[in-house]
Amino acid sequence: MKSYAKKSEWPDVVNGRGVPIRKAVWQIPALLVLAVIAGIGTNAWRSDGIPLVGDWSAAARFSDTAGESIAIPLERAADQFEKGTALFLDARPPGQYAEGHIRGALNLPWQGVDMYFMALADRLGQSEMLVTYCDGESCELSHELALFLKEMGYGNVHVLINGWTVWQHAGLPVEQEQ
Amino acid sequence: MPRMKKETAEWATVLSRLLLGAVFLHASFDKIADPGAFAKAVYNYQMLPDSTVNLVAVTLPWIELLLGVCLIAGFWLPGTTILCTGLLILFVSAMAYNEIRGLDVHCGCFSTEPAEGPDGFPPLIRDSLFIVVSGFLTARVFFSRRMTLKRANR
Repeated sequence: MKSYAKKSEWPDVVNGRGVPIRKAVWQIPALLVLAVIAGIGTNAWRSDGIPLVGDWSAAARFSDTAGESIAIPLERAADQFEKGTALFLDARPPGQYAEGHIRGALNLPWQGVDMYFMALADRLGQSEMLVTYCDGESCELSHELALFLKEMGYGNVHVLINGWTVWQHAGLPVEQEQ
Repeated sequence: MPRMKKETAEWATVLSRLLLGAVFLHASFDKIADPGAFAKAVYNYQMLPDSTVNLVAVTLPWIELLLGVCLIAGFWLPGTTILCTGLLILFVSAMAYNEIRGLDVHCGCFSTEPAEGPDGFPPLIRDSLFIVVSGFLTARVFFSRRMTLKRANR
């Protein structure tokens, strides 16, 4: 067996330098630091980078191309509903609309919107205000639909966030497809 | 260990390294390409404070990319395998948690395209299999080196 004069000449494995767990202890933070530097660095450098601290408030998430919020509070939506001044548009697929929707709402599914829109365009024009909704805090269908309608020239378009759920919870009128 | 068995284990180690490396690389590309869309996917999990969503969305894909490169190159394996296993466990827990509380979100695993629709159980099962592979790899990196240590101390 080979003998060593000094401890520092021992093979790595004996004095612990080569033990995997010891390597992991510095490699894990090193990998994380490298990734953070690469991520933040490229994000700052690229043209489509995002702010490191984003604004995820409902108002910011549901805004039009000019950055104006188009979210409508439930109370206001309910008020418009009672007065009959708003037309509600359900952006969910026909199957979910048939299972239940806000009373009087029309189904304008975001998937296949071009086709459905042609059939409904006249009726949309007769209403003072359009309110789109779908289901779930993170559902984007109503938002996409609202932006589409704005682009088509309808000025007064709003999104009722998490509409189907909050409408039901408030006990407001709903109906089912016969 | 008999010679044949040892060779098989070594082949399995290399294969798992390459497979897992490819998976991590593949997972990182779409997210790096579109940070805005990935941030939305992270937000949709509704598990992080709003203020940290973007930071995670910007750095997480680079962690995946680095891990993928290290796995394929066989570089810094002790740290890499532990991080891989840890990350995969984190991903599966997050998906399972949202599944349990009935939040139907797209997992954002390999694509930032929400048009693919919500994911159900398949990504959970798939990622669980990756955990098995990653666990095996981690065990190999730590276990087989320890064999070397024992031999050296003999």
